[in-house]
Amino acid sequence: MAPNQVDSQYYLLLAAALFCIGMFGVLVRRNALVVFMSIELMLNAANLTFLAAARDRMDSNGHLAALFVIAVAAAEAAIGLAIIIALFRNRGTVNVEDIRTMKY
Amino acid sequence: MDWTAVFTKSLANPQAMSASLWLIIGLPAFGALLCGVFGRLLGRTYVNLVACASVLASFILSLFAFQAVSVPDRSVVVTPASNGVAQLFAMSSDYGVWFSAGTFTARYGLWVDHLSATMLLVVTGVGFLIHLYSTAYMEHDEGYGRYFAYLNLFMAMMLTLVLADNLVLLFVGWEGVGLCSYLLIGFWYTDAANAWAGRKAFIANRVGDCAFILAMMLLVLTVTAYSKAPGNDPPAITFASRRILWTRAVSGDPGPLNFQVLEEFARYLPADIATGSKGILDVPIPNGPLAGRTYGHTLTAIFLLLLLGAAGKSAQLPLYVWLPDAMAGPTPVSALIHAATMVTAGVYMLCRMSPLLVMSPTAMATVAMVGAITALFAAVLAFAQNDLKKVLAYSTISQLGYMFLAVGVGVFWAAILHLVTHAFFKACLFLSAGSVMHGNDGELDIKKLGGLRKEMPWTTACFFIATLTITGLVPLSGFFSKDDILHGALGAKLAGYGWVGPTVYVLGSIAAVCTAFYMSRAYLLTFTGERSKDAKVPHAHESGWVMVAPLVILAAFSLLLIPHGWPDLVKIPIGPPETLMQMFLSTVFRLAEGMASKAHTLLPEAESSPWPGFGVALVLAWLGGGAAWVLYKRVFPARAGKPVPGFFAAVHSFTEHKFYVDEAYDVVYSFIKYLSIGLFRVVDEGLIDTVAVGGTAFVTSKVGSALRYIQTGDAQTYAAMMAVGLLCGVGYALFEALVK
Repeated sequence: MAPNQVDSQYYLLLAAALFCIGMFGVLVRRNALVVFMSIELMLNAANLTFLAAARDRMDSNGHLAALFVIAVAAAEAAIGLAIIIALFRNRGTVNVEDIRTMKY
Repeated sequence: MDWTAVFTKSLANPQAMSASLWLIIGLPAFGALLCGVFGRLLGRTYVNLVACASVLASFILSLFAFQAVSVPDRSVVVTPASNGVAQLFAMSSDYGVWFSAGTFTARYGLWVDHLSATMLLVVTGVGFLIHLYSTAYMEHDEGYGRYFAYLNLFMAMMLTLVLADNLVLLFVGWEGVGLCSYLLIGFWYTDAANAWAGRKAFIANRVGDCAFILAMMLLVLTVTAYSKAPGNDPPAITFASRRILWTRAVSGDPGPLNFQVLEEFARYLPADIATGSKGILDVPIPNGPLAGRTYGHTLTAIFLLLLLGAAGKSAQLPLYVWLPDAMAGPTPVSALIHAATMVTAGVYMLCRMSPLLVMSPTAMATVAMVGAITALFAAVLAFAQNDLKKVLAYSTISQLGYMFLAVGVGVFWAAILHLVTHAFFKACLFLSAGSVMHGNDGELDIKKLGGLRKEMPWTTACFFIATLTITGLVPLSGFFSKDDILHGALGAKLAGYGWVGPTVYVLGSIAAVCTAFYMSRAYLLTFTGERSKDAKVPHAHESGWVMVAPLVILAAFSLLLIPHGWPDLVKIPIGPPETLMQMFLSTVFRLAEGMASKAHTLLPEAESSPWPGFGVALVLAWLGGGAAWVLYKRVFPARAGKPVPGFFAAVHSFTEHKFYVDEAYDVVYSFIKYLSIGLFRVVDEGLIDTVAVGGTAFVTSKVGSALRYIQTGDAQTYAAMMAVGLLCGVGYALFEALVK
């Protein structure tokens, strides 16, 4: 490993931190839009993990997986935003605590 | 054209004929499909046409097949008669393997020899006449398509039974005719009694069929054990030694239940002085599940089981109870299925197996005794029946008893001859009864008929001729066929069962007196005297020619078959003169006779003239007929209005209630019924329904309704749950990693 390069475990620690922040956001924030952004954060944490692994293993499989995750995240963003807009038009709110009709 | 060629050369090309044997079955089956599926579309006229034409075509093909195997066509005789066994004129056709498992194989093979050719003619001939009759009889019935579909299907199945060259394919036909019988007994199923009668027939037959299947399994085990034993030649079809064949490539293993294989197997059984073999009847079976039991004992078991199977199909004791109730079906069905053809299947099957049957004197004696007791028992039951069809039903059981008697004492040809004559005269009687019903608005109570002689002359004449035939008041065909049986019984000496022959002769002779009595009674009450005051319609009308013509043809056959049973008609090169039928069927049965004398199971009878016995039989018939005439024309009319004497009343009540057999069966049946009800309540309703099925549903629903409160609808709660799950997973992984 070249001396001026960052050690891989720091990438992994950063990814874990990002994931935890994202998960915290998903669990505690009430605004659906922010929850959504937190999910993106978690996906990118996963991306970072893949890339770190790819760097370690000196191959491109990780990059491939990350590209897939980005594509899925893009699709998810499109559909998710559409759902949130539709929700807002119907109910006038995007607060996830107010939307709990699917229960016992 | 030289017409004498009919008696010397085969009219049809033998190869082509044997290749098209399947058409004999296929045409009625196709007719059944057309009538059943497109019956409504075709309409009554075309259904009648299809049904009758397919059976007629079958009949014509059967005629060609019969002619081909009957003529001594020297141009196709391959091997002259050798080693003292008669040549078998036969043709066969093989259509490949049906199924095979391990060493067991069953093939689609058809086989026509003199025995099956005779059966073919009877089945298709009587069948066609009854199809023709049915077109008139069912002209007011809406279910004509269904009716003719069933009837055609029955023909196909019966022909499969007759043509099959192995026991498995025979069993297909056996079950098929049982199914059609059930469908046709319950044809008017809207009346619950008819549906119940159908079920009764079906269930009584199941008991027999169960025994049949067991017998087949035992037979497979026995033959397989023999072929596998070291030093034995496996019994294969070795036609070359003795017979001509017009055969289509039987290549490969014919399977252990092929009739030819069974015949070959039978040849190994008895001791043979010529080859020096000691026979294997008393040798224990060396291997397989039957190891340790001798071949002879196994054969006895097999044939006792087969007898039970035959008793179910042919309505013998103890399984006869379904046949009288089977009269619930349309009358032509009673004539075709429950008199002429299907019920004789048991006799045919036992005759097919004759080379093996004669190896077991115990089984032979049982068959003879069952037949003789049934013949007498059913004849007595017929005394007090007032329903004309019921009288005929008991009469059928009784006559089938004679055929079993003949099989049991080893006069197989007489059994088949009686089968043939019975098919004609009993079909004639039943169709006449149908004609009486047709002309009297469905009335069948002989006490409420009477005097039909003037109003229905043709029906009366045919019924009269058939009555004479069955009773033997005048020596017509039925007289000779029955008394050939009794003559054979008197001369038969079964090894170890010497008493059987004379016993069955006495029982059969008493049954003959009873037959003359009840048939004369039925005829006198129905057709002579004055019309009853209780009659449904004031005047009966004669049926149309479509119904009368079959009657006349059938009655004519009662006369035409006289030479077949006339004793000592044919002089043969070796041995005493034979009857025509005996000579004709000797190609099939001489093997069994030869085997019996080799094995000393059936000792050769001392030759005696049959004529004295015939004289006795004639006197007995007149005794029975005379008694009926005195009672029903003199004694009872003279005492009209007065109470019946105690003795007659007691006899009448006892026989009218059929010796309380149905009631006795009910007791046995009730036991099984309540046992089943108990098992049903505890096991089915209690354990399976309540505990297993209901319990699962109960637990699931209770757990579900308790757990549903977890479902809050809050997505973040769910996410938290997942996070906790993830945490647990990660924690576990870390724990594993740290501990290791």
